[in-house]
Amino acid sequence: MSIVLKNITKHFGPDLVLDEVSDEIPSGSMTALLGPSGSGKSTLLRIIAGLESLDHGTVELHGRDVTSVEARHRQIGFCFQDYAPFNQMTVFDNVAYGLKVRRIGTAQRKKEVDELLGLVRLSDFGDRYPRQLSGGQRQRMALARALAIKPEVLLLDEPFAALDAQVSGELRVWVRSLQRELGITTILVTHNQSEAMEVADRIVILHEGRIEQVGPPDQVYDKPSSDFVHGFLGPLTTWRGVAYRPHDLQLCDVDAGPRARVVDVIRLGFEVRVVVESDQETTWVQLTHHEARQLNPVVGSWVSVRPR
Amino acid sequence: MHRPSLALRVAVLCYVGALVALPLGFVFQQALSHGVSAFVNALSNAEMDSALWLTVRVAVVAVPLNVVFGLGVSLWIVRHPSRFSRVFDTLIDIPLAVSPIIVGLSLELAYAQNGWLGRPFAAWGLQVMFSYWAIVLASVFVSLPLVSRQVIPMLRSVGTHQEQTAQTLGAGPVRIFFTVTLRSITWATAYGVTLTIARVIGEYGAVLIVSGNIGFRTETLTLNISNNFENFTPYQGFVGVSLLSLVSIFVLLVLGHARHRERLRHEYRT
Repeated sequence: MSIVLKNITKHFGPDLVLDEVSDEIPSGSMTALLGPSGSGKSTLLRIIAGLESLDHGTVELHGRDVTSVEARHRQIGFCFQDYAPFNQMTVFDNVAYGLKVRRIGTAQRKKEVDELLGLVRLSDFGDRYPRQLSGGQRQRMALARALAIKPEVLLLDEPFAALDAQVSGELRVWVRSLQRELGITTILVTHNQSEAMEVADRIVILHEGRIEQVGPPDQVYDKPSSDFVHGFLGPLTTWRGVAYRPHDLQLCDVDAGPRARVVDVIRLGFEVRVVVESDQETTWVQLTHHEARQLNPVVGSWVSVRPR
Repeated sequence: MHRPSLALRVAVLCYVGALVALPLGFVFQQALSHGVSAFVNALSNAEMDSALWLTVRVAVVAVPLNVVFGLGVSLWIVRHPSRFSRVFDTLIDIPLAVSPIIVGLSLELAYAQNGWLGRPFAAWGLQVMFSYWAIVLASVFVSLPLVSRQVIPMLRSVGTHQEQTAQTLGAGPVRIFFTVTLRSITWATAYGVTLTIARVIGEYGAVLIVSGNIGFRTETLTLNISNNFENFTPYQGFVGVSLLSLVSIFVLLVLGHARHRERLRHEYRT
């Protein structure tokens, strides 16, 4: 189920939020809309779901223009960042909601909900209420609820932002494998580049309502099309006026090239940050633990810096 | 939290005791001063029962009217904010801000036979003033914001994500209202309803002016109590007061339960 967006433009009052955004999201892909807050990524997601109006432009699902179709007739699964659980219903009834709307009979409904609860590993939690679940469980419940209507498209708004680092990491892996398994066209919104890199097979970078770059994670990371993308996808540092990723620089003997003095060494487990100062600027070089042990940079000593 | 000192607690108890408990206790003592059987007899006083029955009939109409109005206004103000709805948000507090006497007088001026709202009714041969409907009008007016004041903050804190999720799951607006919206504001609404009931049953000033206070016809329970004291039948008056107090205590208990449920919900939701 491909999604085609054409010239989508949206204002909130006088503010231009989306400016002629066009993209084609291939069937079965996992696409991340990546951008800083205020880039228009969540608004774009809501427009695809039909939860937000647009000024002009069109949304096509599998060749059908759905721009004027109401959200409830689009058959699109949507998960909010806060998971929006129906607090007064049990987990079972939450997941069954879409099936009830579709007048699926009780027996069939129970069968489908049980399958979904198994899929999201909540089989034993059907009788609980959302407030009795952990954040990760609530998020899986929201996924099951969205999947119940057998959507052709799944939209996730900042799905991991409200979880602690460990749960978020586990869920990323799980969501990615679930998406592969179901082959469902999925778009997720995130402001976190490592999350986008890890989960998506295609990244759309938004900045101030425009698409900056589209491509697979490797490509956008290695061949950023603009300074913005370069800076947004990872840390940057400058050496002799040129921007580098800190791990693309290395430290050598003082005679090997232009000199700099070590001013700080920060050990972060696997990686070691060495901050050096030359007459031009302060530069940050990232070494592996292993490299750092070999070079043994000492604060106050002189080294030289070279691009790798 | 810091535990209040013994002196403070004693002071608070004395204050509440002097203001509420002692006067209320005195009323019940007076009502029971001729024994329980006399009290039970007095409960079946014809005029008082007629007044109680009228109060019930007024509440049965006024309370649902204000619930529908309160829910509608709350949804409008929270979900479709505009400059107009914000002005309205302030206006609906007027009934709580102005004295019931003013409410009664304005209603009387507007709905009198020659008032500009009363005239069209008079043309149909209907008299609004000094009738059952005048009491309903006054009761609805004085309790106007009680439901929406409870519901509006709750609607705001619940947000729209649940409703929008229901939308993406295929639900239409009516289903969403009954299965999602209403269920998340049930307790706030219940709280507002109990406040409304208490106000409607207990209203005196506005009703006194618009009802005409006609025995067996437009005499509500509060009017009946006041009439008994003025007509030198204070014992009957004390019986009426204790009846009204029992209703209020019942309402308070329901309120306490609603608040307790509310707190439980919030404690779980972390």
